[in-house]
Amino acid sequence: MTRTRTPGISRRSTLALMGAGAMSVAAPWVARAQAKTIKIGMPTILSGRVAQLGTSSRNAVMLEVEKVNAAGGLAGRQIEMVIRDSKGQPQEAARVARELVNTDGCELLLDGEASSGSFAVHEVARDLGVLCIHTCSEASSLTADPKQHIPNAFRCVRQGIHDSIVGGSYAAAIAKTKGLKKWATCSPDYAYGRDTTGEFTLYLKRFAPDVEIISESWPKLFQPDYTEVVTKILQAKPQALYSCLWGGDLTSYIDQANIYAMFSQMEVFAVNMADYTALTVVKNLPKGIHSGNRYIKTFPTTPENAAWGDAYKAKYNEYPTNWSWQNATAVMFLAEAAKKANSVDGKKIAEALKGLTIKCPFGADGTVTMRGDDHTLVGYAIGWGTTIPQEPYVPEVKAGDWKTIFELEAEWKKSKGYT
Amino acid sequence: MTELEAGRAQGLAPLRGGSVLQRYRDVLIALVAFAVLASLPLLTGSKALLDFVIRCSAYGLFATSLNLLVGYTGLTSFGHGMFFGLGAYSFGLIMQKLGVPIPVAFVATLAITAVIAAVIGAICVRLKEIYFAFVTLAFQMLIHSTILSWASFTGGDQGLRGGISRPVFLGIDLANHVHLYIASCALLILGLLGMRQIAQSPFGYTLRMIRDNAARASFLGIDVWRAKLTVFVLAALFAAMGGMVMALFVSGAYPEFAYWTISGEGIFINMLGGVSTFLGPMVGTVLLLLLNDTVTRFTEYHGIVLGVVILFFALGLRKGLLDFVAEWFSQRRDAGEGR
Repeated sequence: MTRTRTPGISRRSTLALMGAGAMSVAAPWVARAQAKTIKIGMPTILSGRVAQLGTSSRNAVMLEVEKVNAAGGLAGRQIEMVIRDSKGQPQEAARVARELVNTDGCELLLDGEASSGSFAVHEVARDLGVLCIHTCSEASSLTADPKQHIPNAFRCVRQGIHDSIVGGSYAAAIAKTKGLKKWATCSPDYAYGRDTTGEFTLYLKRFAPDVEIISESWPKLFQPDYTEVVTKILQAKPQALYSCLWGGDLTSYIDQANIYAMFSQMEVFAVNMADYTALTVVKNLPKGIHSGNRYIKTFPTTPENAAWGDAYKAKYNEYPTNWSWQNATAVMFLAEAAKKANSVDGKKIAEALKGLTIKCPFGADGTVTMRGDDHTLVGYAIGWGTTIPQEPYVPEVKAGDWKTIFELEAEWKKSKGYT
Repeated sequence: MTELEAGRAQGLAPLRGGSVLQRYRDVLIALVAFAVLASLPLLTGSKALLDFVIRCSAYGLFATSLNLLVGYTGLTSFGHGMFFGLGAYSFGLIMQKLGVPIPVAFVATLAITAVIAAVIGAICVRLKEIYFAFVTLAFQMLIHSTILSWASFTGGDQGLRGGISRPVFLGIDLANHVHLYIASCALLILGLLGMRQIAQSPFGYTLRMIRDNAARASFLGIDVWRAKLTVFVLAALFAAMGGMVMALFVSGAYPEFAYWTISGEGIFINMLGGVSTFLGPMVGTVLLLLLNDTVTRFTEYHGIVLGVVILFFALGLRKGLLDFVAEWFSQRRDAGEGR
């Protein structure tokens, strides 16, 4: 007899395979650790183009967790970190975050995601109600937009809008003394680049009204060749240039612009320059580039900050990044809040975190605060300075004024319809 | 009636009867599969397992729809992910901006996808092989760039923020994890059943003929362009369904959903599972997600592990897993019958 239907067996076996697969996934997950330790989950980017930042976040967290554990743990329970790679993909970040809570039994989350990933983890926190501290996303809307606000999420990160206010006022002061009226901008072509540049020029013009932007360049993110951009800027002959390129893009840009001696022809303001990941990679770091502080152990100029940077370097044989101090601060906040609440319960910690001020090496005045009304970090060291080609790279940083920041931030929020 | 025609008619009769049986068998298998999946929450409290199945639904719909193009029609699309992203974004935006009931948003998303897929398809399916692949990839990047640059509407690179609201409809509350799980399973099973029907219909066999010899199909009076366009649009609809499941799972939509890497994953899933059996892509999906989830638990060097697995399938098996299994069974049976 002939068979009319051939692939029957394979379908059944497929279902069996699927079943077997499901069982094998479920089995190890059923057993949950019942230990007295408290697990803190952390999705972050450990592979791909920005892996270095994710790794530096993990390093900083482990450095601080060791200290907390040595001092008796979080309300008496030892911390166990479960840190996983999200590859920088939002759907993976959401999956990993859910898995950390649902399967690995993590009671708290540190969200080491940038940009879109942090919004994905934010939704997981909204859904699961787990306490979540964002430690890497600088997008202002994450906490400024009331639609995003949930009681169990906080942000322990510097913010785009703060940087723009401080950068704008610093640059305006120099523009006035040196008479820099013609400006050019060169920033990566995505939301961060466009928003940050827009806000910077807004505040620059506010403090120095006769400034004029005569040329704008928007190279693609991760663009390898900047020749076209560099020549365009040189032809426009501006007196000053603003850029929020970062990481590998910034270092390639500087290396390529050096060939055209760009840095001797204009004042350059590159907000993301003063970060060791950029400073130590540029082949010939030009003298006198103005930059915001990302992380630099010489600012704030306190022994605590220097000691922290050195301890990190001693342990990991490289300098910390901007993400490092933010993650370290998040662990410090958790430790203090748990002490204050005398509990590791997410809700109680969230209550304790609201408006909490802690001693911190990265604070402008030795302390940082988790602002109560929008759950975001304020009072951190923020300032601008100029580079020199060797350590300490940025010898003097002019600190930003938090009073001005608060005033203008409130105004900005109103203009965006957030308040 | 010539002898040849008579012979053909005789040959066809049992086949047609068989295909009816098979159609019911497909429905039966679908029902059983759905019952098994739907009873999972009763058997296990593991939310991760439910999450896993929800993701399998999203990627499974996407990968199987890609196989309608790759395996059945011979159209290797490198840009199929654009419809996954389009589905997620349309659904998310409609829910956020209009606040309509979920079924309305679902249907509207399918309508939007159909229109866009028809326009893109009309341009793409004229081309063959590598040119088709490149042009689909180009359209994908166009859509991805549009999402990135139209920040006021799409949220740019930060994606659709603020969560997707899920009003209760017909007693189904998609904010509830188990409800979302059951809904995803239902969509997966319905989607698979629909695609199975397409693949087994006369239209499905037309597609196979086009794949094997488009010139012959054309000489037999088939409008090749129209058939290709139809399947392109149909595949886009199922991919958009996958995108909607993903949007519901992450409660948002992100530009990564429309990036070429999603299309790449679809092709990879098809390679893993096999393109000559209907359920190959589904097996590939389970394999890839299982591999991804277990490997990322232990190491951040998952790229190496996945690379080795690809090499194993490409150089070792030389085909997808289910193709390999199916071939092995048929060889064994042939050997048994030959005895």
